[in-house]
Amino acid sequence: MKYSLVLLSLLATLASAEPANTQAPAEKTMDVVTPTPTTSTINVSCPTQECPKEHVTKKVDAPQIEEGDVLERDNSLLISVVGQGVAPMNTTSPAQAYALAKRAATADAYRLIAEKVKGVRVEGQDLIQNMMVKRSSVRTSVTAMVKNAAVVETTFKEGLCEVEMEITLSHSQFPQ
Amino acid sequence: MRSRDGNHSFTLSISAIIFLFNSLALHAGEYLISYNYSVKNAILYNEQLDISKSMQTCKGTLSNSIIFPGNDSNNLYEVIETNRENFIEFLHSIGLLVEHREETNNYQNNSITHLTLRTRCFKVDFNDTLVKISALK
Repeated sequence: MKYSLVLLSLLATLASAEPANTQAPAEKTMDVVTPTPTTSTINVSCPTQECPKEHVTKKVDAPQIEEGDVLERDNSLLISVVGQGVAPMNTTSPAQAYALAKRAATADAYRLIAEKVKGVRVEGQDLIQNMMVKRSSVRTSVTAMVKNAAVVETTFKEGLCEVEMEITLSHSQFPQ
Repeated sequence: MRSRDGNHSFTLSISAIIFLFNSLALHAGEYLISYNYSVKNAILYNEQLDISKSMQTCKGTLSNSIIFPGNDSNNLYEVIETNRENFIEFLHSIGLLVEHREETNNYQNNSITHLTLRTRCFKVDFNDTLVKISALK
């Protein structure tokens, strides 16, 4: 009788131990799983399998500076504008007309540079009465100091003078 | 018998040095210059260049400079008048304050732009053949 009880207790312990043994390998497999990319995840970036290696190893060039870009620390920014001016009607000679028109065009080019670099303050006002626009006004203004702008080209044709002007901006000119 | 001017050679050399110094150089001065003009509806108005001799010593370091042919003249006004266009380009390169206002009322546009070089001190060196104008910063 004693031996039968001992056998029963042994069997019971074995029975309870078996499920524990089956769970232990499952936990191990969970630990073994690593997040290494499988072949399917690699193919996501190139689903057709025809992508040449150059596309993967291609070096990205320095970003080209275009209009609207931000001035970065290592790059300089070239701004080019074309100012326009006309000669007054009461000039005494074509040379005087040219000189006056050129000065007006230069001022216009300076204004354009100031607007591009510093921005424009805009104020608008519309008066609407009886469902109609009675008065509409837009005011813009800019104030800036412009240095070292260079005249690239000047053309004078049919009373209109155009001055192409450039200015190079670098990060060091704007102390933080 | 010894002459009354015992140091004849010494006096001669000193006067030669003074003569040489005066002929090479130098007549320097400091001038106050301001410049401004307005452009209204793309037409130039009120261009004004003011030059006057400084009544007191200017302080600052030399920055931008320009050299004109002097033609034995010690008159800055004449030199600038002869090279007016180049001098005004030089003033532009120094930097001008741009103030622009534009107004559109009932779809009619009016604009005015003022460009100003505030009164600034310039050092001017006259040589025999050249005049050097330097802005003080």
